[in-house]
Amino acid sequence: MRVRPTLAAIAGIAVLGLALQGCTGSSSNTSSTGGAVNGAGKTLDVLVAANTLYPDAQKQWFSDVSAQFQKETGATVKFETFATTNDELTKIQTAVVSGQGPDIYNLGTTFTPTAYSTGAFVTMTDDDWNKVGGRDRFVPATLGISGPDDNDQIGIPFASRPFVMAYNKDLLAAAGIDKPATTWDGLAQQAQKLTSGDTYGLAVAYADSFDPWKFIWGMSIQAGNPIIDGKTARIDDPVTEKAYQSYFGWLTTQHAVDPASVSWKNAQAVAAFAAGKAAFLPMTSATSKVTLDKSAVAGHYAYALLPTIPPGQTSLPSGGKAATSIISGDNTVVAKYSQNQDLDFALIKMLTSADNQTDYYKRFGELPTNQEAATALETGNADLAPILDSSAQSVGTPFSGAWGDTQLALVNVVVQSIPSLSSGSVSDSDLETQLKAAQATSQASLDKAK
Amino acid sequence: MSLQSAKRRRTLSTRNRPLWMLGPGLVLMALVIIIPLGLALYMSLLDLDQYTLRSWLQAPFIGLQNYVEAVTASPLLRSIWISVSYAVVVSLVTLPVGVAAALATQNRFKGRALVRSVFLIPYILPAFVVGTVWRTMMQQGGVIDSALGSAGVHTGLWLNGPQSYWTLIIVQAWSSWPFFYLLVLAGLQSVDSEVHEAAALDGAGWWIKLRYVIFPYLRGPIALALIISLLHNINSFTLPFVMFGVPAPQDVQVLSVLTYVTSFQSFRFGLSAAMAVASLIIVAIPLFVYLRAVRLDTGEEGKRA
Amino acid sequence: MTQSVLAPPAIAAATPRVGSPARVSVRRNDDVTRLLPRPLLVVIIVVLLAVVLIPVLYIFFASVNSDTGVASGQFFPTEFHLDNYLLIWNTVDLGTGLVNSVIVCGAVAVVCAFVAVGSAYVLVRFVFRGRATYLRALLGLQSIPGTLMLLPVFVLFASVGTALGVPIIGTRGALFVTYLTFALPFSTWVMVTYLRGLPRELEEAARIDGASSWRILTRIVVPLSWPGIVVSAIFAFLLGWNDVLFASVLTNSDTRTAAVALQVFGATQEGGAIPLYGQMMAASLVCALPVVVLYLVFQRYLVGGLTAGGVK
Repeated sequence: MRVRPTLAAIAGIAVLGLALQGCTGSSSNTSSTGGAVNGAGKTLDVLVAANTLYPDAQKQWFSDVSAQFQKETGATVKFETFATTNDELTKIQTAVVSGQGPDIYNLGTTFTPTAYSTGAFVTMTDDDWNKVGGRDRFVPATLGISGPDDNDQIGIPFASRPFVMAYNKDLLAAAGIDKPATTWDGLAQQAQKLTSGDTYGLAVAYADSFDPWKFIWGMSIQAGNPIIDGKTARIDDPVTEKAYQSYFGWLTTQHAVDPASVSWKNAQAVAAFAAGKAAFLPMTSATSKVTLDKSAVAGHYAYALLPTIPPGQTSLPSGGKAATSIISGDNTVVAKYSQNQDLDFALIKMLTSADNQTDYYKRFGELPTNQEAATALETGNADLAPILDSSAQSVGTPFSGAWGDTQLALVNVVVQSIPSLSSGSVSDSDLETQLKAAQATSQASLDKAK
Repeated sequence: MSLQSAKRRRTLSTRNRPLWMLGPGLVLMALVIIIPLGLALYMSLLDLDQYTLRSWLQAPFIGLQNYVEAVTASPLLRSIWISVSYAVVVSLVTLPVGVAAALATQNRFKGRALVRSVFLIPYILPAFVVGTVWRTMMQQGGVIDSALGSAGVHTGLWLNGPQSYWTLIIVQAWSSWPFFYLLVLAGLQSVDSEVHEAAALDGAGWWIKLRYVIFPYLRGPIALALIISLLHNINSFTLPFVMFGVPAPQDVQVLSVLTYVTSFQSFRFGLSAAMAVASLIIVAIPLFVYLRAVRLDTGEEGKRA
Repeated sequence: MTQSVLAPPAIAAATPRVGSPARVSVRRNDDVTRLLPRPLLVVIIVVLLAVVLIPVLYIFFASVNSDTGVASGQFFPTEFHLDNYLLIWNTVDLGTGLVNSVIVCGAVAVVCAFVAVGSAYVLVRFVFRGRATYLRALLGLQSIPGTLMLLPVFVLFASVGTALGVPIIGTRGALFVTYLTFALPFSTWVMVTYLRGLPRELEEAARIDGASSWRILTRIVVPLSWPGIVVSAIFAFLLGWNDVLFASVLTNSDTRTAAVALQVFGATQEGGAIPLYGQMMAASLVCALPVVVLYLVFQRYLVGGLTAGGVK
């Protein structure tokens, strides 16, 4: 008498729970046979970053890809999006803990080490590489952050977004500067010269969650410090301190940056440049083209490589790498738990084909990782040359499970320095204190790395 | 009430007890609260990170090492200080505001219902909305800066640096003062009208009346409100998270945000669990006082008869 | 358990409304209950109204202003972009979010209130071992930091999902069970305080007539406790509506709640051109509206109920 209603109540809740579970679509789990992949009736789940610049074009791309894939294999593709880094990390975790979730993940390149360290994603064998069209089809530099070494890769390059700087041709011409500097010191001088009234030499997003570490890492590696050197973190290295000093110096010494930029995110820096209020927009990618071509500076700006000579130097020091950018873009990884791995590879093969890569560039302005498509693009578009150059000269960030923490620590140095930055100067002792803390965080994380 | 009926009631209440009605709630709370709580305690003893999460049951058992690391080599202690001091300051700031608002709306006046509704709004608005809105208002060059600027006051950054601590306090105070208002209002309504009349006959001034006649009635509600408000503020996550993002300026890295970041950004799950257990201990102090103070059986036999 | 607007146990006492103290006389001295001198009273009310209303008005003004206007610190809009209220349905994906929030929180509210009324009935009317512990636990469990529960709940759901071969993370069901459970201690406490205020005579009469406990609960207790049920349902609803912490981890892009949709939209604004402040504010307003309306409609129960119960 007493038991039954309890069961009924629980059953009721369970039924309700199932009903609520509703539309979450999961992939069916039949395995495929060798040879031509037949995916009739199956659905692949693919996780990609939400494209905030072209949300509608992305929806269109989703359905086009699914249609094409269905034509080729009979299987459909269901896309899921993540909007923030947080979201991205959570998805990786879910996959790790539960062995459930999307079949294919399209991750930012700098998250590849994190994904690798969890051991939840497929390490590509030669056979696997052949299934996606062979390693040779990719631009070699884009493979630089696919794994710790060539035999141990999880990431298949999907899109490339190397960093460059945009400059305002009119402002430079008016100041009698014929071309952007190739050293950081030179850039700082030009920026100072270009600053007058409410127009500034540089548009820099000091409060961005990502931009700052890219500058610091770039300047450091050019001076020979890769930040993570084997099992040692080197954030407290003098060249890195120098990098921070010159990064802050644009505001505190050269006064070549809008003082308001201490609270700017990347978007506000782009906006300032687009309004013609800044001569240089360092650390931007081809995706800014969309915004800029609709703005006041449309037709009056060009892209150039970021300087490759570290601060305080006139030529590349020995041991330095002339990195123009981090290897930036997206890597595709396949979950180990995926029941349809051959189908997964077939989809990746389709997406990284020359035609689809060219198509992807046309839709979103992201560069191909496919060599054939990249070469074809270069011959047709002179103004893209600096960006393609930068892609070829990109250097991968250290492939370590500790990179995520290290990156966060590098940004944190800037975050914590913003109050003093805003008041006009960051003292060396403050900076050193911050660097010490960042060094400790990064080293602790490295010590845990396995 | 006769002795007989009281006796009958007692026998009734011990026989034929439909204890199964507690079932659904018990099962849910055991599954989704008690088990995870145990899990959290267990995880805090494991070396659980991105490398070991995949088969987390096999993660190495490291005893209290996470706790040692949390105390000696992480910002935990500073975060505890920030959380606790901020919770105390917010509670102390909002208390007088809430009391004043309750005293002011105690009596009928034209439009009182409307005023009471408006007073509730900050408390009703979801924390994620409050955070989004205030973040926009307090950004550099935003509406607060330009308003203060036109009054000749130039403040520094609100969302960065040492001042951000006060930003958090201001916003949390804005959204939580109506809580004191509500409880004090309720307390005021329990004051009999004879008390008011007696005080009026004495001809006491308003302050004397407040101080010696009314406030004693409010001691209970205010103490209760203080404790709950403390608990509430110490656990507050959404507001600082939405307002300052991560990495947060170190002056507003409250305990909950630190725990979250350690877990979901740095992947140090074991360490994060240890920090979370530490926050449980912090919360336990006011909670203990609270549980002692609440009379669980108010309204039961003794009182109603 | 949750951080945000979870109301305190003291509000629980949704016992029938006891109005303002009865007017003893019709003489002019109904003023005797006034506590503050009129000028002070007016100042307090005016200042607090301004403190509350200025930011609230700002949300509306900013929601129709141009994005550059908001960025440059305007209070009054210089342009009127009412279309922000149309655009958000596409850019923020607010529709999906609101539907998910309404479905999940609505189900939580209904189920929670009824589970709570059953538990509360037993707790108030019967004596059993562990009763005091149970009551204490109801209060204690509400104070557990959400950040403590997040990871274990996540791992638990993930592991159970793997064991059963069904995805749990990312479903509305996972969110439903989580919110339901976390809302239960408080909702039960609300009902406990409410039921204490109800007379027992009807129940006893029914009991003598041989009615079962289930029958007494459904035929007598529930019909008499609607006000309390409404209050506990509303608080359960709000707990889910306001949560960001659990929803950000337990949902995917299809099952995202309105709170997460807004938070994500805010976060992605860092990547585009100028942040779409107007749409952000419009979306904030839309997300807040259902909650504000709920509160104001049921304000009588929620506020009036305070007077009798746990506060004394």
